Amino acid sequence: MAAISGASSISLRSSPPRSHQNLALSRTNGLRSISLSDHGRNSLSFGLQQRSVHLSVSCAAKPETVEKVCTIVRKQLALPDDSAVTGESKFAALGADSLDTVEIVMGLEEEFGISVEEDSAQSIATVQDAADLIEKLIEKNKA
Amino acid sequence: MGASRGPRLSGMQKQVLSLYRGFLRAARAKSAEDRQQIESLVSSEFRRNAKEVDRKNFLYIEYLLRRARKQLDQLRSPDIVGLSALNVSFSQTKHPTN
Repeated sequence: MAAISGASSISLRSSPPRSHQNLALSRTNGLRSISLSDHGRNSLSFGLQQRSVHLSVSCAAKPETVEKVCTIVRKQLALPDDSAVTGESKFAALGADSLDTVEIVMGLEEEFGISVEEDSAQSIATVQDAADLIEKLIEKNKA
Repeated sequence: MGASRGPRLSGMQKQVLSLYRGFLRAARAKSAEDRQQIESLVSSEFRRNAKEVDRKNFLYIEYLLRRARKQLDQLRSPDIVGLSALNVSFSQTKHPTN
């Protein structure tokens, strides 16, 4: 399902005996998408704006981006090369304080040639968050 | 500090992080050697104060923020090539008695 990044999300759940339907309304960065899922088996989603279709695609960052982020995080925190850093790793769990997180984001900016805004920089908690944000920004640069 | 969606920070903490980011950004514009020096100095200064300054000492933190802002403004100027620190030891000085 589409990932909801931070913003407000409202989900309504109605459960009549036969058709167990799950209706979730989510609002992400001004884009709206509605997704309906039935028994979790099939799900259908449609966007009110055309671009929101791409949004759900860009949510999962490519493995190579995640890997690259992991490498930079290891370097920045001076962790050994074989230490376990994955997409789910939280910066705080890896021993990074908020200053380290700033350094990591700055390192990522240079590596990927992007510029991360302050607000988004502070919402990054995991390697996956960072990778997702990077892909979003790279995508935006291309457009 | 460990909420799942990023740590929840106070306004002051955000200002500090924003300044830290500003310093690291300003350092990028300098030569490789100076940059390295600026980064290590800025980093150690921030970390030292983070450790030593009482988090409730708002007056002093405000002062440090003001001072850092001025220093950052200066560092941003292209005429400024680097930063340096002066280590003054107060252990020998005696308070004047009068």
